[in-house]
Amino acid sequence: MTVDQISSVADRPSAATGTGRAPATAGPRISMTARRHRAFYMFTSPWIIGFLLLTVTPMVYALWLSFTTFDGISPNWKYVGLGNYRELLNDPVTWDALGRAGLFAVTSVPLSIIAGLALAVLVNRPLKARGLFRTLLYLPAVVPPVGAGLAFKLLFDQNSGASNGVLTFFGIDAVGWLADPYARYVLLMTVLWAAGNVMIISLAGLQDVPRELHEAARIDGASAWRTFRSITVPLLSPVLLFQTVTGMIASVQTIMPLLLAPLGDTGGVTTVPQSNYLYMMHVFAQYFALGRYGYASALLWVLFVLILVVTGLIFKFTSGAVFYNVDPEAKK
Amino acid sequence: MRPHAGASLSRRRFLSLSAGGTAVGAAALSGCAMQVSSGVSGSGETVTVMVKSGDILPEQVQQAKKDLGIKIVLVKFDITKLIAMLTSGNPPDLVRGVGAVDLPYFAARDVAEELDPYFARSSVLKPEDLDPVNDLWRFDGRTQGKGPRYGMAKDFSQDSMFWYNTAAFDKGGVDYPSETEPVTYEEWLDNAKRLVQRKSGQTTVFGGSFNGLTRATLLATMTASAGGSLFSDDFSRVDFTTPEARKALAWYMDYAKTKVGPSLIQPDPNGWDGPTYQAGRLAMSNAGYWMGGMIYPDKKLAKVSRLAPAPMFAGGERISACQGGTGLWMPRGAKNKDAAWRVFEWFFGEEPAKGRASGGWGIPTLKSLRSLMPAQEDYQKRVLKAQENELKHFSVVSFTPYTTADAIDALFNQIAPAAMNGQISVDTLAGRLNSAINEQLKRGKEQVG
Repeated sequence: MTVDQISSVADRPSAATGTGRAPATAGPRISMTARRHRAFYMFTSPWIIGFLLLTVTPMVYALWLSFTTFDGISPNWKYVGLGNYRELLNDPVTWDALGRAGLFAVTSVPLSIIAGLALAVLVNRPLKARGLFRTLLYLPAVVPPVGAGLAFKLLFDQNSGASNGVLTFFGIDAVGWLADPYARYVLLMTVLWAAGNVMIISLAGLQDVPRELHEAARIDGASAWRTFRSITVPLLSPVLLFQTVTGMIASVQTIMPLLLAPLGDTGGVTTVPQSNYLYMMHVFAQYFALGRYGYASALLWVLFVLILVVTGLIFKFTSGAVFYNVDPEAKK
Repeated sequence: MRPHAGASLSRRRFLSLSAGGTAVGAAALSGCAMQVSSGVSGSGETVTVMVKSGDILPEQVQQAKKDLGIKIVLVKFDITKLIAMLTSGNPPDLVRGVGAVDLPYFAARDVAEELDPYFARSSVLKPEDLDPVNDLWRFDGRTQGKGPRYGMAKDFSQDSMFWYNTAAFDKGGVDYPSETEPVTYEEWLDNAKRLVQRKSGQTTVFGGSFNGLTRATLLATMTASAGGSLFSDDFSRVDFTTPEARKALAWYMDYAKTKVGPSLIQPDPNGWDGPTYQAGRLAMSNAGYWMGGMIYPDKKLAKVSRLAPAPMFAGGERISACQGGTGLWMPRGAKNKDAAWRVFEWFFGEEPAKGRASGGWGIPTLKSLRSLMPAQEDYQKRVLKAQENELKHFSVVSFTPYTTADAIDALFNQIAPAAMNGQISVDTLAGRLNSAINEQLKRGKEQVG
């Protein structure tokens, strides 16, 4: 029985009433469709109200702010139309920060997907203590970013960090990891350290790949790499697409550079080394250090539109490469 | 058409209802925010105070309830929250602020209450008893240090002074700096270079740290010490190309380049000097008297710690400004001003003030409380003597009302690393700082009107 069939049964007059007429004592008759609609909206309304209150309202407010010079407190702010947007188009700091954020996204997202997938393949094998390995590899992903940032700061401190302790033990001079130009590599490491997130989703995808396909490939003499490339990866492609899109969105909004900065709070955002001064750091700085609420709101709206465009482009250019394993019978 | 009871809820109607619900919700949330400063609570009055943890302790809140009959509600200081509360017309009754840099900004925007009438009728905070540092909380509409009072400092230090560790000097074979006569900035840097200890590319002991409370106040103070002014007469511009400001800037770039201490290009993971100094990994720390509060409980460290006067430039002026003067101010829109003033008097003139004065965490801002400063141990007496001598050179270095120190620091932090790394010259840096900071000041001036 399909979902539509269930619906049509549910819409029939109640068996209890026999004739389909409402009992004389009942109030106004409410159709089953209306009840279903009402139930649907009752269940979804907390989310929708939350979405309107906590997402749409601030976004509209931010859009309004982006047309003003509001600094949060001064009485003489004014409406400047598209002035903030024109300014950001001509602001080299904005473009540099955007460029760095883009570079970070195209580096960190593929690397974390590859690392996560490799780990998933490993822990999908029949190993001893497989559960323990899965737990250990996933553990970093559940550490709060603030704790992770602090740990990395201590680990990579030039003068007392363990990383330089290892280097000096081997007679290599210590490196200023948290300053330019090395800070970007530490940032990348913090992302890869939490690859357990990607691993867990990829692992779920791997376990969904039909075993008989692998067996058939093996009988046909396909190598392990060929099987992985021609069977596993195509069947995992929806999962990989999901990870690419969500990873890209998360990476351009990352706050990790702030947590690795000498002063890890919003006020210390400008102490972030230049190589880690990504777009969101620029937004933080405009809001909280410079008090430019209007300009910062314009920066956020531009980022929002860019994310929409890039997400659309990813979907467009991967549509032919993503394999959706849909049951053809389900549509009948 | 009026929908009947049995009609299904259309999407349009549902979304309209949701929007209505959102509006109601927003109003409800706003109402919640209003309750933060409702004025009256239970049998006594309620005063909302926005401070950082440690400014007012929970036991002091209980004591205030008992002694004053006023309930103090503490709100954690957060500039974003403060701005939201000010904008919505529901500010706290008292707010923490850094007198040296925050007061001109808030007073010029007309959100701070003038407190002269309150001081005039106070029997606790008498004008003749106020230390000159409280002038940081005065603003005449253009210049800090003059005009009506808007707040008061809870304690203070002369923040260009520096502590030094005699053990580090002994180890480096460097003569101790005088505790009464200032070294020059050049001598300070020279000492730092001799005191720094490095091994395999790691700095095991920093020669010295000299970063001021903020880069903005540091450079303004150093420029004043060189005999100039970082700001123009009307505070609407900075000029780093004047000989005095350039001298200060060049010195600070040398300090960063030589990597004798923490800076933007050599960050200290502790974020401030305290733990590094305490661990014996910092020979000189540019922190004023207040750091004694951290040093004194560790007797071993206290015995090797001395406080030296603020350095000066050769041929310059001997000044020793306060770059902080943290205290409280009263928002103009405070709902419960009389009760807030009573808390203000209690905080600055009664038990909390006495406790702070004897703790060594700063110089009391009432002259009458000076006798409470710690002087039981020899090292405390020695530090107190150096500090008392330095007070003769106190001066107010006025700050611009058109932007915050954080904003100037933000722009400095973005531009200066290139000069610290030797990629651009000090003159190029000065030009770029002028351009970026003056743009920010121009925007601020337009908004102040």
